Amino acid sequence: MSESWVEKYRPKKFSEVKGQEGAIKKIKEFIEDFNLGKLTKIEKKALLLHGPPGTGKTTLAHVLANETGSELFELNASDFRNRQKLQEILKPALEQKSLMSRNKIILIDEVDGISGADWGGVTELVYLISNSNYPIILTANDAWKRSLAPLRQKAELVQLREIDYRTIREILFDILRKEDLPINQEVITKIAIKAKGDVRAAINDLQAISKLKGEIPTEFDERNKEIDIFNALRRIFKEKPSQELLKLFDSVDMSLDEILLWIEQNIPKEYQEHELAHAYEMLSKADIFRGRIYKQQYWRFMLYESIFMSYGISASKKTPKPGFTSYQKPTRVLKIWLNNQRIAKKKSIAEKYAKTVHIGQKRALKEFPIIKQIILSNPKIAEKLKLEKEEIEYLKGTSWEK
Amino acid sequence: MINEIWTEKYRPSTFSEIVGQQEIVKRIESLTKAMNIPHMLFAGPAGVGKSTMALIVVKELFGENWRENFLELNASDERGINVIREKVKNFARTKSLGKVPFKVIFLDEADALTPEAQQALRRTMENFSATCRFILSCNYSSKIIDPIQSRCAIFRFKLLERKDIEKYLRRIIQAEKLIVEDEAMEIIYEGSEGDCRRATNILQSTAAVSPNITAEIVSTVISNAKPKDIRVVLDYALSGDFERAREKLLDIMLKESISGQDVIKSIQKEIWNLPIEPEIKVKLTEKTGEIEFRIIEGSDPFIQLQSLLASFVLAGLGKG
Repeated sequence: MSESWVEKYRPKKFSEVKGQEGAIKKIKEFIEDFNLGKLTKIEKKALLLHGPPGTGKTTLAHVLANETGSELFELNASDFRNRQKLQEILKPALEQKSLMSRNKIILIDEVDGISGADWGGVTELVYLISNSNYPIILTANDAWKRSLAPLRQKAELVQLREIDYRTIREILFDILRKEDLPINQEVITKIAIKAKGDVRAAINDLQAISKLKGEIPTEFDERNKEIDIFNALRRIFKEKPSQELLKLFDSVDMSLDEILLWIEQNIPKEYQEHELAHAYEMLSKADIFRGRIYKQQYWRFMLYESIFMSYGISASKKTPKPGFTSYQKPTRVLKIWLNNQRIAKKKSIAEKYAKTVHIGQKRALKEFPIIKQIILSNPKIAEKLKLEKEEIEYLKGTSWEK
Repeated sequence: MINEIWTEKYRPSTFSEIVGQQEIVKRIESLTKAMNIPHMLFAGPAGVGKSTMALIVVKELFGENWRENFLELNASDERGINVIREKVKNFARTKSLGKVPFKVIFLDEADALTPEAQQALRRTMENFSATCRFILSCNYSSKIIDPIQSRCAIFRFKLLERKDIEKYLRRIIQAEKLIVEDEAMEIIYEGSEGDCRRATNILQSTAAVSPNITAEIVSTVISNAKPKDIRVVLDYALSGDFERAREKLLDIMLKESISGQDVIKSIQKEIWNLPIEPEIKVKLTEKTGEIEFRIIEGSDPFIQLQSLLASFVLAGLGKG
């Protein structure tokens, strides 16, 4: 795991944030008004930044804190599960003076994640906004969710738009220059377009293809395929499980069997101990349904296979995994193929030997280690068995002690 | 032409050279001398002289022309009974050369054939009984269907005793000018499990290391020839190194061509030797059984085994 470029290149100043000029203006106005004390008179005491993933909602909150020299106090939707817990967390933030008397900004991420059934959470949040002495920034993908209606009255809505692909391309070029990596216009443009306005996805894709080891795919489509699977893995392993995962594999141009191999390869890169065991149990269940599909020719089982593979494995972790992980191509299939090549030689040697000493080939294979030692002990034996050069090389090359 | 593979070089070529099996040798020798043999069924464990006996019979019958009048087949290698019938047909089409009015077909490991295939074989034996004699060999005569057994003279080969194997090896030791410690001989015999071919192979691969054969060299050779242990995989898993464990597992499965079910079997046995709490042993056994069930049901063995290894990682932490 190495440093995530998304973190490394997260803007620190408003001037570094690209493509959200309108929103920035609104945010600046809000904070000025707040600091001048104007807001005590008006209704809206919080900012609700809303927009699709990867458009800079959380980034803007961080930048604001940085530019105003404030301390950022972060809360998450999951903190709103019960009043007691919330107040415990909030108390110090609302009452104590910040260290060194710095100002404070409270960030509440993903308010649309406050569970729909739990109306008390939103009420709690509204109460908090009304009574806070510090500016509050809320973020949401969808501000128009019914459950958020009370919030919309209390907060100033700032919409963040999908970032134009040309702007994304500039951001990517900039990163490559800083990383001192070669720039391939065509590939970068395609990544930028494919990101559909999501800067985070674009940067992750960029980092993924820069980390691709082994033979580098020549066609972009190949890369595209790998980017898709990298993305899918990232969403399974890094993010909290969400129902969106159920559609995850639709965007990956691979068979479910192939995706299964990718997941199998990479589970131990992200999960340890209990999470590892749980994830493999999920994979095992997915595999059981895979087996049943073929046995019964009942294709609806694919649904279960896919759910265990996506949501099941995602839900095996306690907390989202930070950082950037270079996922690996599945090596198992390659190993099996290579091994079959080797086995073919082993079999042909065993066959020749078996004929000569009047036994079956299977018996010869079973006793192969000792037979191998005998053949190698005297070059005349290989000659008599009429072994090919490659077969002799195979015998000399394979070390059974290893 | 000097044969350098000792199992061939020192394979007995006359009845008197065969060690053990005195009764059988006597009976078969008299049949062969009469130049008329019945169909025969040789039953007995591996490496006690069944193929050797068949070879001596044809050499006695046909002399120098034995190769032209002898067809050797291995039931476990041929692809199905039809291939065997085809080969028999082609071979039986021409008449035997020389004085003996029949040819000999030796079908090794006949018990590898299914009962249905054996029925087909019985027909073939009947069709060509005028021109051919069959010698079948098998490990257990009970695996051969009754109609075939009733058409054959049955000879039950016994496991060779230590003195027989030693007598046989002494002949080689003398000819190859080797020096063998008594203790080394003991270990060769144990390693051979009464299989004379295996004993000869052990001797030859040991002699390749040194003509001065000590117990130590023999032990090393035998242990090198053993399939790799699943224990090392479990040890990696218990120490928390999941990736190494699964890499090793795949290695063993591929290199030794071991099936998932065989791996499960050895894991199940090995659990009892692991340094873990009794309670966890039970849990792991339960999980192992579940995984075996899943594999039998048709799941991918390697995925299922990885899931099992993940449980061993937890066991290594003292958790179930």
